[in-house]
This record gives sequence, C-alpha cells and structure tokens, in this order.
Amino acid sequence: MREVRYSVSVFILSALMLAVSCGKTEVPTPDVQAVAAERITLDANDAVWTNVPVHASRLILQDLVEPRLMEASTQEVRVKAITNGGQIAFRLEWADPSQNDLPSPKMFMDAAAVQLPIKIEASAPAPQMGEMGKTVQISYWRADWQAIVDGRADEIKALHPNASVDHYPFQARPLDKDPEAKARAEFRYSPARALGNSRSGPREKPVEDLIAEGPGTLTPNPAGASNGKGIRTADGWAIVLTRPVPEGLSLTQPTQIAFAVWEGSHGETGARKMRTGWVNLLMK
Amino acid sequence: MARVNNWQLGREMSYWYPEARPQKQFAAVFDTNKCIACQTCTLACKTTWTSGKGQEYMLWNNVETKPYGFYPLAWDLNLLEMLGGQEWDETGERPVYQGSTIFESAPAGERVLGWRPEDQDYSYPNVGEDDCAGQVDGGASLAASHDMAWFYYLARICNHCTYPACLASCPRGSIYKRPEDGIVLVDQGRCRGYQECVRGCPYKKVFYNAMTGTSEKCIACFPKMETGIQPQCFVNCIGKIRMAGYLNTPENAREDNPLDYLVHIKKVALPLFPQFGLEPNVYYIPPVHVPTSFTSQMFGPGVGKAIETYRSAATDSDLAGLLGLFGSSERVMTRWRRIGETVTGLDDDGNVLVNVPLKEPVHIRPAYDKLYQVTRSNCP
Ligand code: SF4
Ligand code: SF4
Repeated sequence: MREVRYSVSVFILSALMLAVSCGKTEVPTPDVQAVAAERITLDANDAVWTNVPVHASRLILQDLVEPRLMEASTQEVRVKAITNGGQIAFRLEWADPSQNDLPSPKMFMDAAAVQLPIKIEASAPAPQMGEMGKTVQISYWRADWQAIVDGRADEIKALHPNASVDHYPFQARPLDKDPEAKARAEFRYSPARALGNSRSGPREKPVEDLIAEGPGTLTPNPAGASNGKGIRTADGWAIVLTRPVPEGLSLTQPTQIAFAVWEGSHGETGARKMRTGWVNLLMK
Repeated sequence: MARVNNWQLGREMSYWYPEARPQKQFAAVFDTNKCIACQTCTLACKTTWTSGKGQEYMLWNNVETKPYGFYPLAWDLNLLEMLGGQEWDETGERPVYQGSTIFESAPAGERVLGWRPEDQDYSYPNVGEDDCAGQVDGGASLAASHDMAWFYYLARICNHCTYPACLASCPRGSIYKRPEDGIVLVDQGRCRGYQECVRGCPYKKVFYNAMTGTSEKCIACFPKMETGIQPQCFVNCIGKIRMAGYLNTPENAREDNPLDYLVHIKKVALPLFPQFGLEPNVYYIPPVHVPTSFTSQMFGPGVGKAIETYRSAATDSDLAGLLGLFGSSERVMTRWRRIGETVTGLDDDGNVLVNVPLKEPVHIRPAYDKLYQVTRSNCP
C-alpha cells in the first residue's frame, strides 16, 4: 500500500512539475482530447501544440506475459493530440536522460507506440495487444529508425566506427559495372531484407504500422499510413505520431487509446516495456 | 510449462512447449581428438553464409581452445555459475540428472535462465588460443585449478536442440523446428530482433544482426542436407573430425545408423552440457588427454567410459572402421556396414556412397627417385 501511495504522489508531483515547467498552470486531463487544428505537424516544437490540453498517462510494467519487465523505468508519458478531421497527430513526451539509438547485441533502442482498437465498439479489446477477433492497430516509433531517417549511413561503421571489414562479396570490383546486379547481390546477403521484413533496412520514416490480436501476434500492417518524428528534449524525447483519424471517431463517439514506452538503456524490447491501460480518446 | 522426456538427463523435465519430436533429427558427431583448430570450418561457413553487412563478427561455426577459449567470451562459465549445483545420480543403469535445467531454473518473469553477451564479447573469437591449463614452468604466472598442462579444441555449431531454448524464448514464435529434419531456424521475415533467443540460447549460437535488426543462426546448410550432402563445415573439415546425419532416440537406435552406433550403442560420443536441458544434437567424442573432472562437467557423466571405448578402437574393428568413414564422402551416410577390411557408407536406399579400407595402406617411397634422378624426403 505504501508503494502505491508513493507512486501516486510521484504522479501528482510530476504533473505539478510539468505545469510549472510550462510556465502556466497546465492541469492534466483525465482523457486524451484531440483538439481541432488547421494543420497537422510532425514537429514536436510547433506552436500548434501550445494550447492543447495534456494528458499525463501513468506507465505500468508489462508483467502479464513472459518475458516480463520486472523493474519499472519510465514513470509517465505526457500526451497531446490534434486533428484536422482527416489526420490525427499525437505528441508524446517522456523523460529519458540516455539516448539509445544504436542497435547491437545487448543494446536496445528507445521507442514508443500508440495503440487503438481497429473498430470502435462498446467493449474494447484487451489493452495488452488486443485479443483474438478484436484487433488493435499500433503506430510504433523507434530511435534508431529516426537516426537512419535523419541521415545515419547504412553501414556497420556508422554503428561501430572502429569495426573492421575486409570485404563484402557484393562489393567485388566486377560488380561495379552493374549497379543493379550489385544491389541484387547485396540483398541476397541480407536475408531479412530480401524477405521484406519491415523491421530491417534503410527507411523513409521512423514509424511502423502494426496490428495485433494478442501478445506475440504483432504483424506489420502495410495498409497503415502512420508517420512520425522524434527529437531529443532537455531531459528525454518528444515525438509526434500521425495517422488517419480512427474510423468512426467523432464528437459524440470516443474511443480507447493506449501507450507504451521502451527505455533502451534498461534493456527494454518487445514485451519488456512500460505501458498504460486504455485511456479515453475524445474529439474536442 | 509442459513435461517432456529428455533422455540425456534420464528423466522428464519442464519445457515451454509439449514434446514434439521431428520425423527425423539432424545430428552430428565431432571427434575432438582429431581437431587441429585450422578454422577451415569457420571460414567455410563464414564465406557461405555470413559475409553480409551486420554479420562481420558473426561465426555460426567457431573453434575455441578449451579451457580458456570462448566465443563469445565466457559463454559457458557465465551460465554454469548461474545454474548452481549440477549433480548426477549414477547409481542406476542410466545416470539421472539431479540439478535444474535452464528451463526449470527460469527466474520470475522469464522463460529460461539466460544472460546477454555484449558486442565486445564477440570481438575476440579466438581468445585463449592454444593457452594450456595449469602451471607453466619458467616464471609464467598462469595459475589455475587444473593440475596438468593441457588444452583441446572445441568446434561448435548450433546444436539444433530437441528442446531449443532459442525457440522457447521467442515471444512471437519466430523460431521453428522443422518437423521433417529437426533443423532449428529463425524466420527472417517474422523476427523483430528482440534478442530474447540470444539471451536464452546457452550455447550462444543465435546472433543479433544490427544491420538487419534480426537474429540469425546456423541453418545446418539445410539446402545441402535436403539433397543428401553434409554441411559446409563438415565437408571442408581438414581433420575429418565430423559426421552429419540423423539420430534416433535411444529406444529406436539402429546399429546400421552411424550416429546411433556412436551415440547410443557405443556411447563414445556425448552431448555438450546436457545438464542445460536442451537435448543438444551435436555429440562429441571427448578428448582423451584431459582430466575427466573437467570434461565430465562439459559432456556429462559418460566421459570416462567414452574415453575407454574410444581407446579400444585399436582392437575394435567396427568402431575403428566407422571412425574411418568420417570425412570420407560429402554425402550424408545414413547407413554403414563393415565387411572384413572394407567399411561402407550408404544412403537410406542402400546405395553405396563410399568404401574405405579399414586400414589405410602405407606407401613408403624410396628416398632416391631413379626415374627423375632426384632425392625426396618423406614428410609425415
Ligand atoms: S544451440 Fe542454441 S540456437 Fe541452436 S537450437 Fe539450441 S538453443 Fe537454439
Ligand atoms: S576444419 Fe575440422 S580440424 Fe579444422 S578447425 Fe574445423 S573442426 Fe577442427
């Protein structure tokens, strides 16, 4: 019980600190309120966010399915939302002093995700990745993809500057004359890319669209149209995730939304994450 | 967790999924006594499968000098320490493992007991090369628990385990064990690079590829095995230490299956760290010159007898003959026989793949070649 009270007080304290840091009284709302805006932006520093109410979502451990996260990390994610009728944008901000965007053995990436039910229904799917027959849709942003989109080269030396590489077969001299054959050869030496795994390879956006019907069922959703951009703040990340407004969401019809944050330096990946339960998402 | 039978432990154990043995199980025997650490196998694999971006430090096949060689660093020591006591009850007909497997000692929130190597741990694939155990005279400062100077080479690939920890660890079922031959594969289209398999595999034979963002592992050269040809690291082995094939469970062992004969009938080849509980399918003939206090931790309680049997090959024509088939053909020899002085490797349909003599004939050339009028030396 003492622990619970402690976390509640941390929650109130952080909400107050947020209010103070913004220079005005910004009382968090219990729901995520999507405010009408003329334009949608990917820029977390855009002035359009200034007067949008913030929802401070308390993060809890994913401790329902193995592998679980046993020790809490990120406490809270602060969420704002805007919509222009067609698109909806979420601005997520959380504290994370370490920037983790280098993939390597035992090195994990900072990441965050927004989850919505695919259909607005009276009974929402299970908040943890949905359930069989009750699909959820997810927009997932990751720090290393952001680094790639921001210009990091698709080379091992971009990750490990001192890595030594003798030779790649697909960079053999004779292939220089035929760039297409060279590209094909490089593809063959990268099975995940050759199979079209959306996790791997050069990227145009730092976000992936996914659907799920329960833990372990996450699947890329090629029909999704999410986009996003993350930037470092003084003490963590601020990211914007955009996507089409969920079908059926209206002034009179709210839906549910959930958030997850992965702290790379804490070994968080996949099921090992901090998450929220369902929160109401309303049009304002 | 389900209850499954692990014959290597002589008992049932807990596993994440129910027992589902493949129609046949890819397996291999490596004779550690013949390995010369030339690393031809390592290179054969590397040039075939892991020369792409993100695979620079990845060795699906590696050869390390025991006791101080590791790839990745301390892969075995770390887990042995975490696992605690690993006693066997050797009073009955078959030894029974009394300790916990990595599945049975999984901490809260985990599927298996595991740990994660760091990128640095893969950076020295041949650390400890040719370092021997024990005190070395002449002021060297090597101090260790072994009381004689020895080392041996341990060639390692994925064990295509009957109860793979990599497969059990993956929360999204991206790893599968093929029902037709027991080969364990990571689906490169489905993997999302959580590295849970890297953490879970006690042999550290799944590797994270930072450029593809997925985990990759030995595929037992399945395109070759499917056409009856042994994997690259087998056919290129200079020391002829390896034989690939298919292994039955002990109750279904066949005398004419070379692997069954070595593993189940002669019991001369033993699994690597059976106490981890994965029922690994690469079997090792233990090194004869190493104290069994060391090798019995690595290969289980059968080490003493295996060495005795191996030494008896001098008078056991069947065993000697079968060992002579190692490296004699690139084909998978699923059957074998010895008739008199001839040892034969055959396929499932009884087709002869290779004949080898029980004893290699020895030719001694005269030191002086009269025809070409030159003197030659006969190098051994
Ligand atoms: S050795 Fe490791 S990677 Fe290979 S099947 Fe066993 S657990 Fe999986
Ligand atoms: S090729 Fe054969 S002899 Fe050479 S290191 Fe590999 S296993 Fe040993």
